[in-house]
Amino acid sequence: MKKWYNVLAILMTAVIMLGTLGMACAEKPAPPKPTGPITINIGLPMPLSGSASPWGQIPTPFREAWFEVFNREGFQVNGQTYKLKLIQVDDQNTAEGGAAAAKQLIYGDNCKFIAGHWSWNFGAVASVTNPAKVIFVTRTGAPDALPASWGGAYDPKTMPYVVFGTPSFDEFVNYCFTLRDAYPNMKKLGLLDCTISKNGMGWQKVQDTLTKAGIPWQEEWFTYGQTDFAPIITKFAEGGCDVVLIAGWIGEHMAFLKQRYEMGYKNMKVGCSGPFVSMDIYKSVVGAAAFEGAIGAYDDNSKLKKTIVNPKYIAECQEALKIAAEKTKGPYEYTGEIKWIPTHPQILVQAMQKAGTVDDPDAIMKAIRGGTFDTAQGKWTMSGEKTYGSAVNFGNTGQLCIIKDGKEVYLAEHPMDPIP
Amino acid sequence: MPPAGIWVDGLVQSCIYITMAFGMVLVFSILGILNWTHGQFYMLGGFVVYYAVTAAGIPFPLSLLVSGVVVGGLGMLVEKVVIERLTSPGYGILSVTAATNALIFFFEGAAGMGFGLMNKGMATVLPGVLDMGSFSISYQKIAVIIFTLVVMVAMYIVLNRTKVGKAIRATSQEPDAASLYGVNVKWVRVIVMGIGCALAAMAGGVIGIVQSVNPFMGRVPMIMSLLAVVIGGLGSLTGAIVGGIMLGLLNSVIAYSISYYSEVALFMLVIILLLIRPQGLFGAAPK
Amino acid sequence: MIIGRHYINEKTLVPKVVIGTLIMIVAIFPVFTTNIVTLSTIILSGIWAVAVMGFLLILRTGQFSLGQAAFMAIGGYVSAILTVRMGVPYWPSFLAAGIISGVIAFIIGIVVLRAGGIYFSIITIAFGEMVRIVAMNWESVTQGASGILTRAPDPIMMGNFEINFAAGAVPYYYFMLLLVTISALFYWQIDRTRIGGTFRSVAANPVLAEHLGINLMKYRLIAFTAAGVFTGLAGAYYVTFLSVMNPLIFDLWKSVQIMMMTIVGGMGSIVGGPIIGATLLYTLGIYLSRLPIPNIQYLVFGGVVVLLLLVLPKGTGLVDQWGKLWRWVFGEPEDFQMPEEAGMDEE
Repeated sequence: MKKWYNVLAILMTAVIMLGTLGMACAEKPAPPKPTGPITINIGLPMPLSGSASPWGQIPTPFREAWFEVFNREGFQVNGQTYKLKLIQVDDQNTAEGGAAAAKQLIYGDNCKFIAGHWSWNFGAVASVTNPAKVIFVTRTGAPDALPASWGGAYDPKTMPYVVFGTPSFDEFVNYCFTLRDAYPNMKKLGLLDCTISKNGMGWQKVQDTLTKAGIPWQEEWFTYGQTDFAPIITKFAEGGCDVVLIAGWIGEHMAFLKQRYEMGYKNMKVGCSGPFVSMDIYKSVVGAAAFEGAIGAYDDNSKLKKTIVNPKYIAECQEALKIAAEKTKGPYEYTGEIKWIPTHPQILVQAMQKAGTVDDPDAIMKAIRGGTFDTAQGKWTMSGEKTYGSAVNFGNTGQLCIIKDGKEVYLAEHPMDPIP
Repeated sequence: MPPAGIWVDGLVQSCIYITMAFGMVLVFSILGILNWTHGQFYMLGGFVVYYAVTAAGIPFPLSLLVSGVVVGGLGMLVEKVVIERLTSPGYGILSVTAATNALIFFFEGAAGMGFGLMNKGMATVLPGVLDMGSFSISYQKIAVIIFTLVVMVAMYIVLNRTKVGKAIRATSQEPDAASLYGVNVKWVRVIVMGIGCALAAMAGGVIGIVQSVNPFMGRVPMIMSLLAVVIGGLGSLTGAIVGGIMLGLLNSVIAYSISYYSEVALFMLVIILLLIRPQGLFGAAPK
Repeated sequence: MIIGRHYINEKTLVPKVVIGTLIMIVAIFPVFTTNIVTLSTIILSGIWAVAVMGFLLILRTGQFSLGQAAFMAIGGYVSAILTVRMGVPYWPSFLAAGIISGVIAFIIGIVVLRAGGIYFSIITIAFGEMVRIVAMNWESVTQGASGILTRAPDPIMMGNFEINFAAGAVPYYYFMLLLVTISALFYWQIDRTRIGGTFRSVAANPVLAEHLGINLMKYRLIAFTAAGVFTGLAGAYYVTFLSVMNPLIFDLWKSVQIMMMTIVGGMGSIVGGPIIGATLLYTLGIYLSRLPIPNIQYLVFGGVVVLLLLVLPKGTGLVDQWGKLWRWVFGEPEDFQMPEEAGMDEE
């Protein structure tokens, strides 16, 4: 008797479980058509956990705040008002994480676009977005986010729905020109990059461009996770480099600044292609003395001198910074996100308006290719026909700042020449 | 010939590897396991020192001791709750290895949630630079060297001159005989774990003023100290010291000479060493 | 129980019916949902299960390999390089990935399996790192850090029915089932025959085994090579599904993950344990990564694994609880279990 009872219990549990599984997987009925503004989901895979997570987390208040400001008006296409909703998913900065995040955003959250992306998983994400015809706005410069002819993964024929809204790679070379503008008597420029990016063709391009422009350079490499830069600093010093540009992150920048100061090379200027994430962190790690004179990327569009930005966009960014400060209950000075969100969504919105549709990715891409867009970073025309095989590469102000009295001060600017 | 500055810099690196490797070998000798969480105790120690110095205003040397005690205590707790159970008869080596690896994630997550993800620096501790002519060295790096010397001397005294030390050495050589002589082997294991973790913690604290502390700083030092232990020979304390010195100097010199292939060169050396002489320089020959 | 003139032992029948039902559900799962996210999770769980089976086989010969992810990397690169850079069709490349992986495992095994216990593990760690470093730096072949974008297999025509891999995840799902089934059969067969029994004795008492004339090296080499082949295939398939291959995908921590999946799944069954362990831990990881609180996933993941290890009885995993579950259901007293023979009435 006891045995029958148990068996029956097990079988019933199995049936109930199957039933729930079936119901959970059944198609949900379509929601009724809304009146009023329609929301379009924009997906953003980025590192929310793991060692790269600060870069995903710190700009988040600003991103959310900007969308808040933007959605007060929204945008109009063919008389219909639309709002944008940002959905962020953790991709852990890995290829598998990127693929999983992209799948979740597209198939789970119904995102029409992926924008603001900068993780190191271009290939994995693009492999998911392109078959789904979801327009993917990302940056150049991650190891595989370069043209296939340079050893990267981007191929306009197999990836027709990719846009490089932030040309990080070309921006790095551009910063070299900004540095020359700032220091015309520079003796030699030291370039420091991670061995992960030691991709043949890409770096060849950097070197050729600099050589052609008559800028003497010396290149050194650090391994991922390296914390001790004494050997590299010594090599730069022996080579006569008085300005160094690091294609790296906060960890390397801070370590380099501190160590070169301690080794006696106080006058070696050290710049980084990334922005200063926080004055406090830098000061606490590097020391106020060594921090003076540090150079970094600068994206505060209210300080631009050579590039003209629509005052409306400047105001939006200031408003977003204020809201972010309120949200985080403290000063919020990080302007580095301006190159991504709002610039990427602005490109998409204007393209949709030009194409007159929000549903046709081919028409929207056609409007993007070679088009001119007015964003929070200025007005630029999509280029890259010759180098990337398709005109999907945006422009950049090349603005840098220098630390004076512990604050970011405008240093110089070099508007990027359109890449052929 | 690399300039003097490179050698000094390599020496500072060695100091950290020595301290970490020493702790790891100690734990391996007595508990018989490779503690994969060793790097995380290093990280936690760094954070304890950070908060002790900046939030509680405790002077730096005292903060180091505090972190040694606190994290050492945590290590002892881990030993009692997790390791002791998973190394009792009936469990394979797999259980404790998986557990110490899982703890890596656990502590990293806890530190990320509790302390925040960004780097935290202590540049105000021992600022300043000593100019030695052809190179300069910061007082912080000098502190690292002094710290390591102090720790090594202390370890020597404890292991050779105290009763506890004798108990530890006895247990590492002949656990059964030692218990016959009245040594409480269980407590020796707990204490040794505490010492090993305290060493890692203080290493993390002292390097924290040179660099910075962040929740992910434990992974690379863990691998490096494992390499040092392997070079020196598992189970040999002298080996740990020698391995640490070699690794630190080699790393610096190779990075200076051939920069981007330093990783490859280092691993190749280790593999060749393992194939020719798997017991390392000072370890016991394998069966 | 007795039905008519037939005696049916329901105690062995019911568990088998349950397993059979589960297998049926898995076989027709795409009928319930074609949601790509769900299918992806299952597909990847299956791929990891194959890798875990390899680790377990090696473990049964008494060796602890922390380099299995390196074989996945080798398999992945072989398949990617052959298909994308040399234009070889997919299926031959896939098989080549397994074969080359096996050959490399064989060569490494001959040199390295002599080393005992911990030394072997450390050498496998170093091997894994070497593979990663070579992949990163041998740019002419592996394209370094940019990696290689792989292509889906060409559509297969079976009569009028076309299996198109590019169309969605369903064909990947079925091929994954095929891969898992074939691997499982292979590993199960090894386990069931004398070789398997020999493996167990080798693991339990290598010295005695050697004295009895069992050639330690030979069986360890067989296990290591077989694991190399199937792990290489798993890696090649993973890389095809992911569409991208780069040196960072299969690192030391993936080997560690394989190890954790093994212990959680349980070592009693060469097939069931890995499948349960891989599915559980992988799905847990995916689920945790969706949580809004950052970094809690690491905390919970690590905590769950440690708790499981502490709570499960000595050295067993979840699969070994299967036998216990049915004994509880049928209200029978626990049999005395010899160590390392848990789950003897199943599989």
